[in-house]
Amino acid sequence: MHKSLLQGALVGALLIPTAALPASDAEITELKSMLKDMKADYEQRIQALENRLADAEREAARQHEEAARSKPMTANVVRPAPTPAKSTGGFGALTSGSAFNPQISVILDGNYYHDGIDGEGSVLVGEAFQPSLGGHGHGDEHGHGEEGHAHGAADNGFNFREAEIAFSATVDPYFDAAMYLAVDGDGEVELEEGYFQTRSLPYGLKVKGGKFLSDFGYINKQHPHQWDFVDQNLPYLNLLGDHGLQDTGLQLTWLPDLPVYTLFGVEALQGDQEIFGFTLDGDEQAELGLDDTDDGPRLWTAFAKISPDLGEKHALQIGLSYAHNTQHQTAYTREFELEGDEHGHEEDHEEEEHGHDEGHDLEQEHMHALLDGGLEGDADLWGIDLVYKYDAGGAYGKGNFKFQAEYLRSIRDTKFRSANIIDEETDEILDIDSSLIGSKRKFTTDGLYAQAIYGFAPRWTAGIRYDVLGLTNEVSGVDSGDFGSSDRWTLDVTWNLSEFSRLRAQYAHNDILVSADERERFDAFYLQFLMSLGTHGAHVF
Amino acid sequence: MIHRILFGLVALLALASTPAVALDVVATSPSMGALVEAVAGSRAKLTVLAGQNQDLHTLQAKPTMMHALRGADLVVAIGAELEVGWLPVAIQGAANPKILPGTNGYFEAAAQVPLLDAGAAADRAMGDVHPVGNPHVNTDPVRMATIARALADRLALIDSAGASQYRRGADAFAAEVDRRVQRWRGQLSGAPGVVLYHRDAVYLLDRFGVPLLGIIESIPGVPPTGRQISTLTSELKGRSGIIIHAPYQSPKAPKSLAGSLGWRVVQLPMEPPEGADGDGYLSHIGRWVDTIAGAR
Repeated sequence: MHKSLLQGALVGALLIPTAALPASDAEITELKSMLKDMKADYEQRIQALENRLADAEREAARQHEEAARSKPMTANVVRPAPTPAKSTGGFGALTSGSAFNPQISVILDGNYYHDGIDGEGSVLVGEAFQPSLGGHGHGDEHGHGEEGHAHGAADNGFNFREAEIAFSATVDPYFDAAMYLAVDGDGEVELEEGYFQTRSLPYGLKVKGGKFLSDFGYINKQHPHQWDFVDQNLPYLNLLGDHGLQDTGLQLTWLPDLPVYTLFGVEALQGDQEIFGFTLDGDEQAELGLDDTDDGPRLWTAFAKISPDLGEKHALQIGLSYAHNTQHQTAYTREFELEGDEHGHEEDHEEEEHGHDEGHDLEQEHMHALLDGGLEGDADLWGIDLVYKYDAGGAYGKGNFKFQAEYLRSIRDTKFRSANIIDEETDEILDIDSSLIGSKRKFTTDGLYAQAIYGFAPRWTAGIRYDVLGLTNEVSGVDSGDFGSSDRWTLDVTWNLSEFSRLRAQYAHNDILVSADERERFDAFYLQFLMSLGTHGAHVF
Repeated sequence: MIHRILFGLVALLALASTPAVALDVVATSPSMGALVEAVAGSRAKLTVLAGQNQDLHTLQAKPTMMHALRGADLVVAIGAELEVGWLPVAIQGAANPKILPGTNGYFEAAAQVPLLDAGAAADRAMGDVHPVGNPHVNTDPVRMATIARALADRLALIDSAGASQYRRGADAFAAEVDRRVQRWRGQLSGAPGVVLYHRDAVYLLDRFGVPLLGIIESIPGVPPTGRQISTLTSELKGRSGIIIHAPYQSPKAPKSLAGSLGWRVVQLPMEPPEGADGDGYLSHIGRWVDTIAGAR
């Protein structure tokens, strides 16, 4: 009240010069009403302030009361400061993550598996026949692949696939970093990802470095627990291996300021791959006259993703990806028929051997001569991906729909560097087929998958997937051939009990080409659990 | 003819002198968008990421969100981990250093006001809990007035030329809140109470002293069991009240509870319609008030 008197006096003082002039009645009434308005306005403000003060006091009292109330005894009670806003000046994000510790999450992934072929199926789906992996090379390359833990490998019965342990944090104003470890059922630990990413580059640029899953395609950068099915699709499994394009290197992405979301990216990666841009080990390279494994980076990728705005309920992303590995090696082996002079030479040789190995006739000995060649070249991979999601806005995901499809085409273009005719038993080089050296062998294998997921009830989804490898499955050049394809139909039902746990049943009918002229048809069944501990997972697109 | 040309010139001048769009602001939800509208008005080019009937807990980070955040000067979130599943991912994908948490360009409404339900055990057996506090501050108009003032201060920090406009906007909004709250207090005094599906409108009930009679989804993020519903039924038998749930919350359990209690069940959105301004937000709260007051 004091203040409003004071204000009145002040306004009065300011008005004196005009008031000193002879004023009409009308002017005086106007002034009076102005004063009255100002007073009313001022009182209203004070009233508002008083209300706010009362609210604040009530708030404080309640908090005091709540703090005083006894809490149940639990190990992990988070007691934030009464006004968490103050500590950050209101600039930060309120979070239940503890200060300075990285965000930690653990995902447990286990299953019960059964197939009709004694548990061979889960490995077989990753070894569908493609000519580049035929013969000698086949065993070698897969031998390499199986050294690490195989995401898909399951025996009939219970399997603990992996525990994924993830740490992530902001390092400083310049970098974020994350690390993902996979611990398999035998306790073997593997680094899935360990990378930094820049935070503060301008112009929509970001740089990522370390070991990471490439942004090639769509499903490549997902960890197994993010898949909508228990196992990986046939094209990724067979053209890229169990881990997909997971490599060490650098990534640059650019999100230009365009009317439509468009992301461009390039990656330079070391190129140590299980299948795509595979190189033989040192001994074999020497034996087959191939180059040593080149210095990295050998694997380069480029990708673009576009996502038009289709409104709040729809989301669509289309991507185009390309990868190039500057070095790809493979071995070539076939039985060799000896003729003419060579034949004679061979027979001499075999007579020598005959002494050691009685009971073999000459014709069988002939079969023991092999052509062993070393092929070297490069590898290209093209990928197109499309993802569409519909958000129905129902309870617990009911009515949501997702369609996802990718096409991959792998071209491995190689030339003979060596072509040795060897005696299989002694590994002795009998001759060199110089006519082959420099001639081409080009392997082309493609594949696609398409899958749809529908939320048929709150918390329940059903999925269907068709995947095929080898729509084109051919080798051109020397010893050319055209082979069949492997395909599979998969159905699954997933029960998302909460944000943090998930149970899944999956059935698949497989038709896998296991060699040039042999197929394995079998059914495979999975029951899977996924448990997410710790930090709330991200709902990534 | 000359008149027409003159008129045209004047119109052009008038157009040119309307305040230029100074800021690109992204709000996570329509209620935050309404606040931006109320405070910044035409000085902000506003994009709202979520729709009125979308559940902010379960949204996914879409590329189009990253696109909207790419050039933003300010992102206005409800915060306290409500958008934890998607906003950090979207911000990370936007490659925009201006809006990272901790900078001027990141604003959380929940960080500006005291929170209810804070300090609960961080125990997931209790469901998808938020130990820092209940994030649904946008259901309390009085807190929203405080948030509007904080938002005005923040906007003034980024765009000092508009400081007075922002403060005027926030003051006008706060004054309108005060006016309506006076009326709503009268309207809601003696309201018998509400059963909610999720602890989302507790701020509104708390503000007006309306009893919260029960929560259908007693464990956040986990649908209720039949037994939980029958317990609730026996607890509330003979009382009067109303059941309110959001469009994205399953109507099944609310309906069965309403059936056995003989109560009315109403579906109300948690958020104002898209494109709402300060008035739109307050009419949305008005709908809630009318519904709750109509229970007796």
